[in-house]
Amino acid sequence: MSDLALTIAASGLDAQQVAMDTISQNLTNANTPGYVSESAQLTTNPGGDLLGVGDGVRTAGVTQNNDTLLATNAQQTQGALSQSTALQQVLQGAQAVFPEPSSSGIAADLSSFWQSWDAITQNPSSLAPRTETVALAQNAVSDFHQASTQLSNLQANAQTQVTTSVSQVNTILHQVATLNGQITAIEGSGSPANSLVDQRNALMNTLATTIGAVGVPQGDGSLNVNVGGITLVQHSWSDTVTTTGGIGSMSLVAAASGATVPASAGTIAGQLAAINQYLPDYQAKLDAVANGLASSVNTQLAAGYTATGASGATEPLFQGSGAAGLTVNAAIAGNPQLIAASNTATLPDATNNGANAQAMAELYNAPTGPDQQYQALIQGIGTQVQAVNNQVQAQTSVATVAQQNLQAVVGVNTNDQMVKMLTFQQAYQASAKLISTVDTMMQSLIQAT
Amino acid sequence: MTDVMGTTAISYTPAIIASQLTSGLDTAQAQQAALETQISTGVMINQPSDNPAGAAAVLQLNGSLARAKQYASNATDGSGWLSLGNTTMNSIVSSLQQVQQVVESVSGLSLSNQPGALQGLATQVASARQELINLANTSYGGQAIFAGTANVSQAYDQNGNYVGGGSPPTRTVAPGEQVAVAVTGDQVFGSGTSGLLGSTGILAQIVQDLQTGTTASINNVQTTDLQALKQATTQVTTQAAQLGANYQRAQAFLTQATNTQQVLQSQVSGIDGTDIAKVSTQLVQAQQSYQAALWATSQLTQQSLVQFLG
Repeated sequence: MSDLALTIAASGLDAQQVAMDTISQNLTNANTPGYVSESAQLTTNPGGDLLGVGDGVRTAGVTQNNDTLLATNAQQTQGALSQSTALQQVLQGAQAVFPEPSSSGIAADLSSFWQSWDAITQNPSSLAPRTETVALAQNAVSDFHQASTQLSNLQANAQTQVTTSVSQVNTILHQVATLNGQITAIEGSGSPANSLVDQRNALMNTLATTIGAVGVPQGDGSLNVNVGGITLVQHSWSDTVTTTGGIGSMSLVAAASGATVPASAGTIAGQLAAINQYLPDYQAKLDAVANGLASSVNTQLAAGYTATGASGATEPLFQGSGAAGLTVNAAIAGNPQLIAASNTATLPDATNNGANAQAMAELYNAPTGPDQQYQALIQGIGTQVQAVNNQVQAQTSVATVAQQNLQAVVGVNTNDQMVKMLTFQQAYQASAKLISTVDTMMQSLIQAT
Repeated sequence: MTDVMGTTAISYTPAIIASQLTSGLDTAQAQQAALETQISTGVMINQPSDNPAGAAAVLQLNGSLARAKQYASNATDGSGWLSLGNTTMNSIVSSLQQVQQVVESVSGLSLSNQPGALQGLATQVASARQELINLANTSYGGQAIFAGTANVSQAYDQNGNYVGGGSPPTRTVAPGEQVAVAVTGDQVFGSGTSGLLGSTGILAQIVQDLQTGTTASINNVQTTDLQALKQATTQVTTQAAQLGANYQRAQAFLTQATNTQQVLQSQVSGIDGTDIAKVSTQLVQAQQSYQAALWATSQLTQQSLVQFLG
């Protein structure tokens, strides 16, 4: 009897000790990224005696409180959120290129430019209003140059970020493959590899938020990594991803297979959308505004004549094309009298005639003219930024809920662990008490004999 | 989650509580910052995404506002031209009336009995012609107002020949609305040597007839010359009436452009202006929720059983 009781009590001490160890491990890793809380799996030892009392307790193992479905869900929602956030950052940058509505933006500068033509009308022979118009034209041109350069910089920055992210992804893919090898080796020998699995979880979280990778657990404990259906990690083998193409056509390619990697989530997906779709669109629309300005002004000038009756068709005000290429005709800048302000070539009526300049001023806000094109561009950017802002807000809620659901299962709840700690402590004390009680019983027997 | 203890895990781990508090703080702070921007800038739309359609509307309204200001400037400039034109016309008419008085006073005089008096009248008419040439060359801001779009400095040369153009300058005072800010000299005085101011025109003719001093020439002055002078005066007053009408029009459009500016300004304010009372109230609420979030965060350490276990 006494022998069995002592054996059972001793197994209890061991089991509570292991359970206490898991609690200690859980509490110290409460804030470790990727950590999955552990539980000691206690089970009764099958009884070895005739009466069937049993043979105490043993620790069947320490398991991780994992939930693959919730973990995948959390990674996917986080990947979608990262995608929107990355796009949001670039689009807000693009919006900052156009500080509207303001008294110093392109809209206001275009407006001043148009009005200046009426000042020429008020005094066609005077040099001052013509010089003013040329200065305002140069002002508008430098606005276009600046906006175009800033958009190009955003484009270049986004491309650099993608390149950096891709090299980070490649490092992590290699690490996951290495961990796969270690985990399969350890688990193959029958031991758990919980801490390595935790490390791999943390890496998978980063992959999900960077490139929208999905983990596919394998029977041997390894984890395959897919991005858009392309396998990048299989057991201990990993592929590398490279970028190809430039503005408008940048994409990712798997080095081994040469297949295109369709990143549909993660920061890289958001940045690629900005690089290939949004920024080229803004640049093209800005170019259209600049070209619209040049063609409206030059066409009206071509219909007019200088004070000496020369046709305005030979001296356009704007040259070049696109927001970056637009310039003010150097000949007119050097001699503003070349501006064809008159509507007639007949002398002397052309001498002090501002009727063509007068018609030019009325081109302000013409339907499909540069002003309205610019307003449409601003409204377009504003709408897209607003949409992505709302998207980020909604996805943040979704990702937070998914993360909370996951945390509720895999996370470390301090209160919960404390209660368990007390329970295990009491069980341990009870087992210890039992040993001392059996000891007392044995002594009383020895003394009695 | 069922584990060794047979209990179900409570959803709120410290990590979840921390992330909720952080996002609560972020949200409250962002709301507060947005409201503070609205108050400090006085406008609701500080970037296009605040209200995309509103931003485009504000750009358009601001453009229309600038255009309306330009219409007002054009109307003011035009009014200046027309006002000067009217004054000049009045002087021209009174000059012509003086000549008419001279012509009418010729009755009874002849070269034989009072050659000095006739000569004096001739000089008076000649200097009136010179004065009219000067008046016809009146300029506004350095531009001769009766020269049309042709000549900056003068409408008539010293011989009284018209050197201006055929059409007057105009100003745009409203969309598609233009007001002529002058009349051309040839409309007022005629052109060429036979015009009112020309070397063979009616004034020169009167001077010559007075200088000739014969009964026939004096008779000529009192009949055909006087008749022609009256016709010329009528022509001038007709044109003066035209200038007056244009002045009224320019003034009306100036008022309209000024009113338009006010309307546009109030439209911009309606879309873009901050409702200070409303936003201030919202800011107070945002500050309170931010403080509440801060307080909750400061209480985070009390949330565990750890504190109560010896």
